[in-house]
Amino acid sequence: MWGSQAGFGSLVKGVPSFVIPSVPDPAAFLRLHTDDHADPSCKIKIQHGTTTLAFRYQGGVIVAVDSRATAGSYVASGTVKKVIEINPYLLGTMAGGAADCQYWETYLGVHCRLHELRNRERISVSAASKYLSNLVYSYKGMGLSMGTMICGWDKTGPALFYVDSDGTRLKGNIFSVGSGSTFAYGVLDQEYRWDLPDEEAQELARRSIYAAGHRDAFSGNTCNLYQVKEDGWQFIGNYDITKLHYDGPGEAPGNGYGYDIRVEGQTSTDLPATAGQA
Amino acid sequence: MSALEYNGGSVIAMVGKDCVAIASDLRLGTQALGISSNFQRVFPMTDRLYVGLPGLGTDVTTLYERFRYRVNMYTIKEEREINPETFAHMVSSTLYQHRFGPYFIEPVVAGLSKSPTGALKPFIAAMDLIGCINFAKDFVVAGTASSKLYGVAEGLWEPDLEPEDLFETISQTLLNAVDRDAFSGWGAVVHVITKDRVISRTLKARMD
Amino acid sequence: METSFALTGKGYVIVAADTTAARSIVKMKDDQDKIKELGSHLLMAYSGEPGPSNAYIIMPTQPTDPLLSFYSGDTIQFAEYVERNIRLYQIRHLYPLRPSAAASWIRRSLAVSLRSRNAFTVNLLIGGYDLADHKPTLYWIDYLGTVVEVPFAAHGYGSYFALSLLDRYHNPDATLEEGLATLKRCINEVSKRLVVSPDRYKVKVVDKDGVREVEL
Repeated sequence: MWGSQAGFGSLVKGVPSFVIPSVPDPAAFLRLHTDDHADPSCKIKIQHGTTTLAFRYQGGVIVAVDSRATAGSYVASGTVKKVIEINPYLLGTMAGGAADCQYWETYLGVHCRLHELRNRERISVSAASKYLSNLVYSYKGMGLSMGTMICGWDKTGPALFYVDSDGTRLKGNIFSVGSGSTFAYGVLDQEYRWDLPDEEAQELARRSIYAAGHRDAFSGNTCNLYQVKEDGWQFIGNYDITKLHYDGPGEAPGNGYGYDIRVEGQTSTDLPATAGQA
Repeated sequence: MSALEYNGGSVIAMVGKDCVAIASDLRLGTQALGISSNFQRVFPMTDRLYVGLPGLGTDVTTLYERFRYRVNMYTIKEEREINPETFAHMVSSTLYQHRFGPYFIEPVVAGLSKSPTGALKPFIAAMDLIGCINFAKDFVVAGTASSKLYGVAEGLWEPDLEPEDLFETISQTLLNAVDRDAFSGWGAVVHVITKDRVISRTLKARMD
Repeated sequence: METSFALTGKGYVIVAADTTAARSIVKMKDDQDKIKELGSHLLMAYSGEPGPSNAYIIMPTQPTDPLLSFYSGDTIQFAEYVERNIRLYQIRHLYPLRPSAAASWIRRSLAVSLRSRNAFTVNLLIGGYDLADHKPTLYWIDYLGTVVEVPFAAHGYGSYFALSLLDRYHNPDATLEEGLATLKRCINEVSKRLVVSPDRYKVKVVDKDGVREVEL
């Protein structure tokens, strides 16, 4: 195998094709065997819980995700890479079906490269996200499950789009997706501003993922942090959420994010001065 | 989602040499949402007898109150402490009384029982939610992480562990099992019951 | 959607509940007081089970229509039952129940109700100031009778946004002004992110001087 014959080689023969169950209604068949909300005993369990977030600010785009994969109540993995590096200028996040996100965002990368070769310039984030949106929309009703954010830097500057398998595509400044997203929003909204310095933006993203990892049973383990700047994305670091809880992000301990750690020694008991002496 | 899994939580008990240990996590949630990281579900019944009540949060409190009342009444009437075996049957019959509308709890009992000669013998038992007792010589598990606890305990447990070694074994078993369970964790507590004292420790656990 | 918050601070508990009373898709009232004053130093916020009730999973006899189970008459009926019984205790014994005792009694009422034919689907936040040890206490109680003592709490969909925020900003020794500022953060966050969010809240405080209502 060589060149376009390898990997996504089916591209030269047009759109890829999928093996479909030979039943009258393949989509209904699949739904019957994968919907673990309606039927907990179903055989195929798809990864559901997640927390992912991304926001646009003065310094580019910050992308932060957790790393837990669950199947039912079982923590199947604590080291999932939920940021997909589409190319040096584009990042995609993963929520919903892990395989769906991985496959289609890698596939998107192939098409972004083809766009580059054909047009002698990089694809815009808007166009890339629209391409993905149209693609997954064409499979609507077939059981694809994705909630993703496409993040990058193009001629217009930092760009962020939310794309999901229902066909929704939104442009925005702040997004969070997944079962822990509400917890992340709760922290993120409080301190977000456009002119955040890089350090503070990274800290805010880490704290938001920590908050979700702490409160949501289906999120946690570690936080992966990325930043997109004019010259492409950069991996900032991987942070253990329990270490963030007890010690905080740096090497020096004593800056734990955890509530019990932060308020240690404080009390709400209010003894009157006289009672204290008695 | 069954009522047994609604609030999450797990308990394990192990036998050692002239000692027993019982441990549990401290999480109380409503499905995926964590509410409290300090929810006790292991309670002392006598100086040498503990009961763990994993399952539906409301029934943890109800059953604890009920057992406390019945053990107090027993102590007053009989003028002696209740034996672990007797207590286990008391728990079992309480659960079976509710055969057709059960408490959603799978209790674990751990203690040292006094033989007629006065020697102390380790005792552990687990029950299903309607009171079928499982007496064991090694370890018993219950709760949302029970399947994971079985696996780790099978690998780590060995006979005749001294109190400190038993503490290490049960702690490692619990911590590693609950890290693979989404509904258990958020802190842990261990009690090792020996003939002259109970060692109770709170563990530093993963908080996600 | 019904939402309630509560948080403790240095010598006080703040309890806040939205003021909407809705039935089906209609807002029947927008100034409903959903915080009962159970005694001189005891507050109770009560709300219904949000959304397509979880009760359905545990108690198959619960109504399955999400709109019916949303706001049944349960909340007010239960709150008044509690209010009268707590008052009765004080009349009979001259002393009021301490917050922990009151919370235990209320919990038991719910736990008993849970296994009856028509269970109350009421979620509660009990905030009290214990004059004996000067400790402000807060109990989170759900419709099943699950009780936990916590430094801050929330019920309803609002809890999914507010709890992480409170993990970050709540301080047990905050002054009342700081506590109210934290409460405002919660209310603003829920208004910003929750789809059908309540717009008005009633806020009450209990401290060593007793209970009182405060304006935000």
